[in-house]
This record gives sequence, C-alpha cells and structure tokens, in this order.
Amino acid sequence: MSPNSITFLAVLVLSILIMVLIDRLLRPALRGLLEQVVALPAATEFYLRAFAIVVVFVALAAALGTHSDLKDGARFMEYVWAIAARLQEAFQNLFAVLLVYVGLSTVLLATLRRRQ
Amino acid sequence: MSNEHYLIVSYFVVGLVSLCLGIAVYRVLRTPFAAIAEAATGRLRSRVLTRALGIFMTLAAALGFLSVSYTEKGCMSYEAVVKNRDYLVQVNQQQLQRTADWTVAAVFLWCVVVLICLLALRSAQADRHDKT
Repeated sequence: MSPNSITFLAVLVLSILIMVLIDRLLRPALRGLLEQVVALPAATEFYLRAFAIVVVFVALAAALGTHSDLKDGARFMEYVWAIAARLQEAFQNLFAVLLVYVGLSTVLLATLRRRQ
Repeated sequence: MSNEHYLIVSYFVVGLVSLCLGIAVYRVLRTPFAAIAEAATGRLRSRVLTRALGIFMTLAAALGFLSVSYTEKGCMSYEAVVKNRDYLVQVNQQQLQRTADWTVAAVFLWCVVVLICLLALRSAQADRHDKT
C-alpha cells in the first residue's frame, strides 16, 4: 500500500468518525428545534436529511482532497503531519458548512416565529 | 493496465459515480420535499418543483465533475497528462471532491427554496385563519 493510500484511508475514516459524532450530537436538538419552528414533519425531515447529506459530503470531499507527497519509507510523524494537514482542511470546510446551516436555521427561526 | 487505458476507464467511471451521487441526493430529499411542496403550492406545482430538484441535483453533480480540467485549461499536453498515473488518480479525486462541493451548495440552495415554501404555507394559513 502506498503512503498516499494510507493517508487517504486514515483521513477518510477519521473524517467520517468526526462527522458522525457531530451529527449524533446535534441531531436530537436540531430535530426538537425544527419540530417546534416549522410545525410540518416533512420540513423537519427535509432539513435533517439535508444536514446529514451536507455532513457526509464534507467528510467525503475532505478525504478526496487528500494528496500528500509522502515517499515510500516515510516516518511515522510524517504520516501524522500529512493527516493533520488534511484534517485541518476538513474542519475548515465543516466550519463553513455549519456556519451556513446555523445562518439558515436563524433565518428560519426568525421568519417563521414572527409569522406565528 | 496502461495509463491511457486507465484514463479512459476512470473518466467514465468517475463521471457515472458523480451522476449517481447527484441522483442519490435527489432520492434522499425527494419524499419530504414533495410533501412540503404539495402542502405549500398544490399538487401540480409540487410535481414541477420536485422534478426541478432532481434536475438541479443531477446538474450540480455533473457540473462538479466537469469543472476539473486534466490539461489545466490547456497548459499541459495530452502526453504529459497520460505519463503520470499519480496525477490521473489525483484528478479523479478532485472530480469527486468538486462533485461533493457543488452538491452541498445545491442542497443549501434548496433549503432556501423550502424556507420560501414554508413562508408561503404560513401566509396561506394566516389568510384562512383571518377569514374564519
């Protein structure tokens, strides 16, 4: 297995684990909030599914962006640095995506609450 | 497998995978979206909106795939592209990455469409409430 494949797999597994953790942590609260605000089960379902898709695709994009210049016989810490650099990108993307989602939820909350 | 053979096979396989990703996202979102659209706009318009969702998601995925250039917009020759297998793999990864990026952007856009549908639904409900 080439160093690039090892880095790719490590970043893929780590990104998926982190995204699943974030999804698990946020989902119950998000569901409660959406149920209260939108008062339409289909809309709650849509926003939750959209959230899951976004999180999965961010993890996928982060792993696919992995391309390190590691040579055969690279040392352990070189692998760690390569993975850390990719994870930094993954977190950056996740941060941007969560920011957009929070913005969207705020607009949803503000506009629909006012109408209630 | 020669690099040229790999280039041809991987291009079409990755293209197909990208399209399948777009269709998969559409299928995941279709049922709740159709219900929202029907509640907000009625059956006929909801069908149009649901089809638009499908076309949009597939187009976003295809756009992501097509936005990656093997020759870096004409800066590299075909021979230089084919010479390096690592480069070919990297481009395939980039194609899938762009597909994911464009799909995420499209999903966010449709979240806004749903918000507008919900607002329309609320307005209609408020009007009905005022009349009674």
